[in-house]
Amino acid sequence: MSELASRLGFGGRTWLRWAIPAALIIVLYIVPQLGGSSQFRLGEYEEVLSFLVIAVALNIAMGYGGQYILGITAVFAVGAYGAILATKYHPQGIGLLAMCMIGAVIGGVGGMIIGLPALRVGGFYLALVSLFAALAIPTVAQKWAFVGADTGIPLYAVLGYSPKLSGELLYVIVVSLVLLATLFSWALVHSRVGHRFVALHTSEQLATSIGITAYRTKLLAIGISSVLAGAAGGIYVYTQQFFAPGSSSVNFAVLLLAGMVIGGGGSITGPLIGGAIILGINQFFTSLQQYNGIVFGVLLLLFAIFLPNGLLARLNVLGERLGINPPRGFGVPGGRAPTAAATGGAAAAVAALAAPVNGSGPGTGLAAQPARQLPAWPPVIGAGDSGALVVEGARRAFGGVTAVDNVDLTVKRGQIHGLIGSNGSGKTTLLNLISRFYSLDAGQIRIGSVRLDDKPPHAVARAGIARTFQSPKLMLRETALENVIPAVELRVRCLGLESVLRLPRGIRVNRQARAEALEILETLGLHHVLAQEASSLPHGTRRLVELARAIALRPSFVLLDEPAAGLSPVELELLAEVCQNLARSGVGVLLIEHNVPMVLSIADTVTCLHQGKTLFQGTPEELRANTSVASVFLGLDEPLETPS
Amino acid sequence: MAVTLFLTALVAGLAVGSVYGLIALSYTVLFNSTSIFNIAQGDLMMAGVLVSYFCLDRWHLPQIVALLAIIAVVVALSLIEERVAVRPFLRKPGIGLGWFIATLAFSLVIETVASNIYGQNPVVPIPGALGDGTFSVAGVHVATKFILAFVVMIVVMVALEIFYRRTWLGTAMRGVAEDREVAALRGIDALRISRLAFVIAGLVTALAAFVVAPIVSSDVTVGLTYGLKGFIALAIGGFGSLRGCVLGGLLLGVAEQMFDLYVTSNYEILAALILVLIVLAVRPSGLFGTRAVREV
Repeated sequence: MSELASRLGFGGRTWLRWAIPAALIIVLYIVPQLGGSSQFRLGEYEEVLSFLVIAVALNIAMGYGGQYILGITAVFAVGAYGAILATKYHPQGIGLLAMCMIGAVIGGVGGMIIGLPALRVGGFYLALVSLFAALAIPTVAQKWAFVGADTGIPLYAVLGYSPKLSGELLYVIVVSLVLLATLFSWALVHSRVGHRFVALHTSEQLATSIGITAYRTKLLAIGISSVLAGAAGGIYVYTQQFFAPGSSSVNFAVLLLAGMVIGGGGSITGPLIGGAIILGINQFFTSLQQYNGIVFGVLLLLFAIFLPNGLLARLNVLGERLGINPPRGFGVPGGRAPTAAATGGAAAAVAALAAPVNGSGPGTGLAAQPARQLPAWPPVIGAGDSGALVVEGARRAFGGVTAVDNVDLTVKRGQIHGLIGSNGSGKTTLLNLISRFYSLDAGQIRIGSVRLDDKPPHAVARAGIARTFQSPKLMLRETALENVIPAVELRVRCLGLESVLRLPRGIRVNRQARAEALEILETLGLHHVLAQEASSLPHGTRRLVELARAIALRPSFVLLDEPAAGLSPVELELLAEVCQNLARSGVGVLLIEHNVPMVLSIADTVTCLHQGKTLFQGTPEELRANTSVASVFLGLDEPLETPS
Repeated sequence: MAVTLFLTALVAGLAVGSVYGLIALSYTVLFNSTSIFNIAQGDLMMAGVLVSYFCLDRWHLPQIVALLAIIAVVVALSLIEERVAVRPFLRKPGIGLGWFIATLAFSLVIETVASNIYGQNPVVPIPGALGDGTFSVAGVHVATKFILAFVVMIVVMVALEIFYRRTWLGTAMRGVAEDREVAALRGIDALRISRLAFVIAGLVTALAAFVVAPIVSSDVTVGLTYGLKGFIALAIGGFGSLRGCVLGGLLLGVAEQMFDLYVTSNYEILAALILVLIVLAVRPSGLFGTRAVREV
């Protein structure tokens, strides 16, 4: 995770971190020397290796993408059947590579047939529908003569078929293919595509708020993992020379799942290690097979409850204690600080307080002289238009309660619009209506003349509206920096494939996204926490990271949902300055807040909601003079005092 | 002749469909109170079939004893599952489908234990509660075991409808899934409710086991198949509605038999897969469902 830290040579015995995987890879290559290299034994090893490719595929969709395509063995089976049938009818021309490609194409199509409908509902529907497919495909194959029915198709019986690769050479090639698949999964999850998967996995609302199209991204996760699982079918067929319904029973799907969960989904090597353990036991301890279901079932249950992140996460913690991994929860070394000071000015001083670990005391004196020079953040997305964000006659009811009732509101570019009101007055509902998380019962929302209320939620971000959430939504297992990068990636575009394969433009854009995210975080004085996991950050810092993510979109409008809640006085001051700076840069800010003095001191216009209706709209000065608002909203008998 | 074949298939479809419907009903009872989809339901039913095999085939006990034994075992297993596989996830609500993995694991354990207990014994028929006779209606032979399945399913559905609509407890059980915190504020003990939901779902599943045993004989390896088909009944019918479960189950059962009869025999499982994919593509909320499934 703390890639930046390790790049800077931080983190102790780094060589040990690389020594362990390197040793594992060497062991993988010399397994035949250790465990016997008869043709039969090699075949068994290769079978497990082809299953590991499915484990890698499952990890992409489920561990990273959060899409529970449990029945991925169905995809593996159709890929394998495709490869073996093609070989049966064209025994001469088809080698390992061709088999993998045929398997990949057919597997990809199979995955789409399951995914396209099942994802319309999502969640566990995908798990169950795909599991049912994993059950149905072998059952159908069992009775279908074309695919060899119960006995399957043996290739060695096909006249004129002679595989070019065999013995230890084949073994080495198969190991290399497994490593290639692993490398691919690493490149994928550390690309813009992988960032989208993780964002979506964390929260669909978070993902759509930075312009990610949920359905398409889920489909992509399933598509990529299906292609890989289908290719695994090709490897299986080439190495085993046959395929039968028994090669992919539904219990096999559960075994794969167990391997992934036990090893640790959402890490690159976890599923490989877990898969090798579970599938290896299943393969080589056949006398126990009768009871394997009990052992694996209990293990799976225990891991799901007590170690949901798997063995590898445990090992990482252990590694930290032994000084092998750089510890999480500490920042990057001081080398960064001068840069930060140069760009962020006194904001860097704020960071001392924003950073949790180092913040030994409140030290309010530090913030006394805010000489910040925040750079301008002129809108990039939606900058072509010059219209305001207009809400007209918005209404939304939940059951019998009308949460938002005929509200009009205009957020002008370059202005701060404060939205106040007691709890339950409809502020957040209004925000969610603008974000399209809820749909309007009546009314309109538009930018200039462009209607937003008939568009999907991700289109709102793409029209130039960024937002934060009342309780910050961050990817907790990612660093602060990694939380901001996906937002930058919405506007620095390139093809996903270029980013995954590290083609020239992909590399450039990956770097650019990283650099811009870094700059924004440093500007907000967060250079201390760049490489820290979001889960280790305190509440106030999480809010600032979320704010950085919203700014990173370079939007035309920003909707902030109670950004000041839980902030320290120093952070509060930074927040006010950020809002003002956004407005100066030409961004329209809609600020929901309970902190009325702050709103009144920086807002150009204030709207006060009460029980879903507009109670007041006007300038802060008018609000201060308005006795009725003061009495209804604040329970005061006198007008609000002007803050000194 | 063609009509007789059609009617025979229809009757068989309705009977098997009733079992799918019963499983779908127990899913719904659980989901209403816990927001959890318990994939082990099919294997719980198969545990009941195993009990019924021992009581009726091995020990020749009376049907009513068998029924009570099935209920005792299935409800007990259901409560054990609630304790070990589900409650840890109810306590820490939030993201993820960890509970799904846990219930799948529990299902795997039950299935392996059951098949080890049953061993290599050949599959034998299990006598039905109303005897193994058939009677003839307009030239179509209808087995009494089919009638029993259908009647039990209808009775369970009506009883659940009344329970949810008319009783305070029923309303409370629906409220908990909507919002556990609010329910707690109104003095509803969410944990107790979820335990109760597991008891009721276990009861429904036990009844399903009782009526399905004469139909599937003593095959204890098809728990996951029935569990998944119960889900498909639910997906076709529409999530959350009791009538949707039942109609979805019947539709699935009949569709399978018709596929066997008119398209190609032996591939009825394909009918279920195609049907659910088409329904999800055209009407994701199911044929009779009104509300969308909440995001999980």
